[in-house]
Amino acid sequence: MRHTLYLLSIACLLSGAALADETALKVCTATDEMPYSNEKGEGFENKLAQLLGTELKRKVETVYWQDPRYFIRDFLDKGLCDVVIGVDVDDPRVSTTKPYYRSGYVFISRTADNLDVQNWDSAALKKAQKIAFVPATPAEVMLKAIGRYNELFNYQQELVGYKSKRNEYVKYDTPKLVSEVSSGHAELAVLWGPAAARYVKESTVPLTMTLIPDNNKRADGEKVGFHYSSAMAVRKGNDVLLKQLNQVIEQKKDAITEILTAEGIPLVTE
Amino acid sequence: MQISTFARRAGTTALISSALFALSHPAKANKELDTLSKQNTNWVMQTKDYSSTHFSEMYDINVTNVKNLKVAWSFSTGVLNGHEGGPLVVDGIMYVHTPYPNNVFAIDLKEPGKILWQYKPKQNPAARAVACCDVVNRGLAYAPGGKDYPATIFQNQLDGHVVAINAKTGELLWKLENSDIAMGSTLTVAPFVAKDKVIVGSSGAELGVRGYATAYNIKDGKQAWRVYATGPDEDIKLAKDFNSANPHYGQFGLGLKTWEGDAWKIGGGTNWGWYAFDPDLDMLYYGSGNPAPWNETMRPGDNKWTMTIWGRDINTGEAKFGYQKTPHDEWDYAGVNYMGLSEQMVDGKMTKLLTHPDRNGLVYTLNRENGSLVNAFKIDDTVNWVKKVDLKTGLPERDPEYSTHMDHQAKGICPSAMGYHNQGIESYDPNQKLFFMGTNHICMDWEPFMLPYRAGQFFVGATLNMYPGPKGTLGQVKAMNSVTGEFAWEKPEKFAVWGGTMATAGDLLFYGTLDGYIKALNSKTGEELWKFKLPSGVIGHPITYKQDGKQYVAIYYGVGGWPGVGLVFDLQDPTAGLGAVGAFKELAHYTQQGGGVMVFAL
Repeated sequence: MRHTLYLLSIACLLSGAALADETALKVCTATDEMPYSNEKGEGFENKLAQLLGTELKRKVETVYWQDPRYFIRDFLDKGLCDVVIGVDVDDPRVSTTKPYYRSGYVFISRTADNLDVQNWDSAALKKAQKIAFVPATPAEVMLKAIGRYNELFNYQQELVGYKSKRNEYVKYDTPKLVSEVSSGHAELAVLWGPAAARYVKESTVPLTMTLIPDNNKRADGEKVGFHYSSAMAVRKGNDVLLKQLNQVIEQKKDAITEILTAEGIPLVTE
Repeated sequence: MQISTFARRAGTTALISSALFALSHPAKANKELDTLSKQNTNWVMQTKDYSSTHFSEMYDINVTNVKNLKVAWSFSTGVLNGHEGGPLVVDGIMYVHTPYPNNVFAIDLKEPGKILWQYKPKQNPAARAVACCDVVNRGLAYAPGGKDYPATIFQNQLDGHVVAINAKTGELLWKLENSDIAMGSTLTVAPFVAKDKVIVGSSGAELGVRGYATAYNIKDGKQAWRVYATGPDEDIKLAKDFNSANPHYGQFGLGLKTWEGDAWKIGGGTNWGWYAFDPDLDMLYYGSGNPAPWNETMRPGDNKWTMTIWGRDINTGEAKFGYQKTPHDEWDYAGVNYMGLSEQMVDGKMTKLLTHPDRNGLVYTLNRENGSLVNAFKIDDTVNWVKKVDLKTGLPERDPEYSTHMDHQAKGICPSAMGYHNQGIESYDPNQKLFFMGTNHICMDWEPFMLPYRAGQFFVGATLNMYPGPKGTLGQVKAMNSVTGEFAWEKPEKFAVWGGTMATAGDLLFYGTLDGYIKALNSKTGEELWKFKLPSGVIGHPITYKQDGKQYVAIYYGVGGWPGVGLVFDLQDPTAGLGAVGAFKELAHYTQQGGGVMVFAL
């Protein structure tokens, strides 16, 4: 029986994929990981999921997860959902599509401050009293390299109400980190552009977002990447769906880019 | 018949100690406090006396009559969080403290229950969020009146302030800020009075606090000295002859060299445990805690001088010796615990000793004049992260199987991060030459996670699961000789014995349990002679005093602290509270929150 269904779906695909598929497209979705997605459908990945549904002519079923540490293991791998909208390309846990956008980490500052911060050598980074950032990101590596990490350690803890990363997922809320800068509490924030873009745009205090160049090295000479390509993903072995997603990414490039640009995401090319 | 034995023996002890007193107490020590600490009517320090014996010469209550012990009176503090430490009794007044909001009550012992004065500080409520493991406070300190100050009660407050209160009137004498909660630093430690100074520790190693201890002048709160656990030697205050008796412990420059870059600035090593003082040597003893951050891969090296037993000059703060027990800690075995001083024969010589049951599951005994290691043995044979301590080098021989690297899943590590011995104050019976210790018997699994999320981010962390050790219960009470390492007896307890023990010359050992019993054992045999169920579980220690010729035993009830964090915050996830919730999930079936002091008499 299962074999028959499998063959049937391949047949559908081969016959042009234009046929409406009765089964829902189960999208792995965070309940609250803005600006990516939330339960109200306000995130840009919510919008991309809808685009996928339209193109694949399938109803979108959102399957919610709460803990980013475990959603691949506990949701995608267990078959509770089938599509992940945003991962790093070549994420080893999953099968990824070709990238549908590439972006980078950004420096965020108040426009009025007129800070000259172009790269990690900028003097403003040494002078700033407070720099908001998310630990375990490339920002941490470079803050260590320029000797600011330890001084900022307490502040980093304060941003999450002194919660310990041991035994729990401690979420660094992007809107909060951006508002640290707009409120004047921190001079700078270093954040992943796509995560910060919406809040920079929405800020009533004008903020400047500067893309960080991708030419940074650790003390041992190894590259510290600041630009990353994002892809969609399916469970390993789900090649049929992977192919469908790749087709949508290829054919609907403009529609996708429109969603990302509306969000204010800085896009870069490889 | 038995009574006369007590009388004879207790009499001898009293004689010896007063002889020692006459010989070794020049005008240096806070003489009056020392004297008060030896009187049966009083209990003037958390540690009972400078040696931290937690032992009373009284034997009115003893093995033959303890079965008749009954509630004499009780007092509710009106606060429901965990009540650590114990009340103080000075000249007919009992001083009761509470966890945050850190209220203080002075109670008239002539008319128990009558509040002579009360002090209710206003604190920054943000401190509650910064405290890691409930909002506990380990108690008050007392200083008798001096030339230029009245009798004073000292209190450390969760939001980092230290206050001096007039012991007779409750009037605030001075207030200072010792720790900044905006920097993640809180205060839970009890102050400790020695000479004309009050010593205050620090908390918050996990949050990147660089641990320090500070001495303030009793009269005005002016800082006399401050010493750090990490960094340059001048900040740590190493004496010129630091560790000269044991150069293999390490000497100079190591507070910087054993850290990568300037990570020592956030290196932890706070001290929130107990102190002891030798008025003869003018030396202060305490332990610095765990290094930070907790993820050991982020801080290669020995991370000196975290996890260190310190012997410091009380006048200058200078360290004469420092012995690091757990170089490069991987388990959060914060070594701030009890320091018990004793005089015992070692190799045919009467020796001044310091005994310390560490969270890492080892009991260390040092010569407290120079720091030389006399013995180090496992508090329980189930300790497995270490095979033994090499007494020549002072180094632990680790078992790599129970390491906690980020690429290594370890099962059944004993002890757990809570340690086999945590914050309890223990007792020493000089007649029997036995230390009595309430312990945890809790082990853990360590499962690292390092999962990629997006844009080059990694969530680096680990899940800790804690559960009863191989012997099946969560706690034990043990009697041991610290020089020989021999155990006289051990008694299993259903839950951890978190608050510590008190011994008396009545051959009794008192302690409280997490599920809310106060118990009395025969200290020679470990046989249980009496118990009473309190309104809530115990994480503090019992004390005893005499009022109008009658011996009383008092203890706080009020479950909480790290083991009770699940009850206090109603947590359900078994790995929450750093794994404490899973280990103590049974506790909710035996006790609920409360807070007060219960006093017993025959």
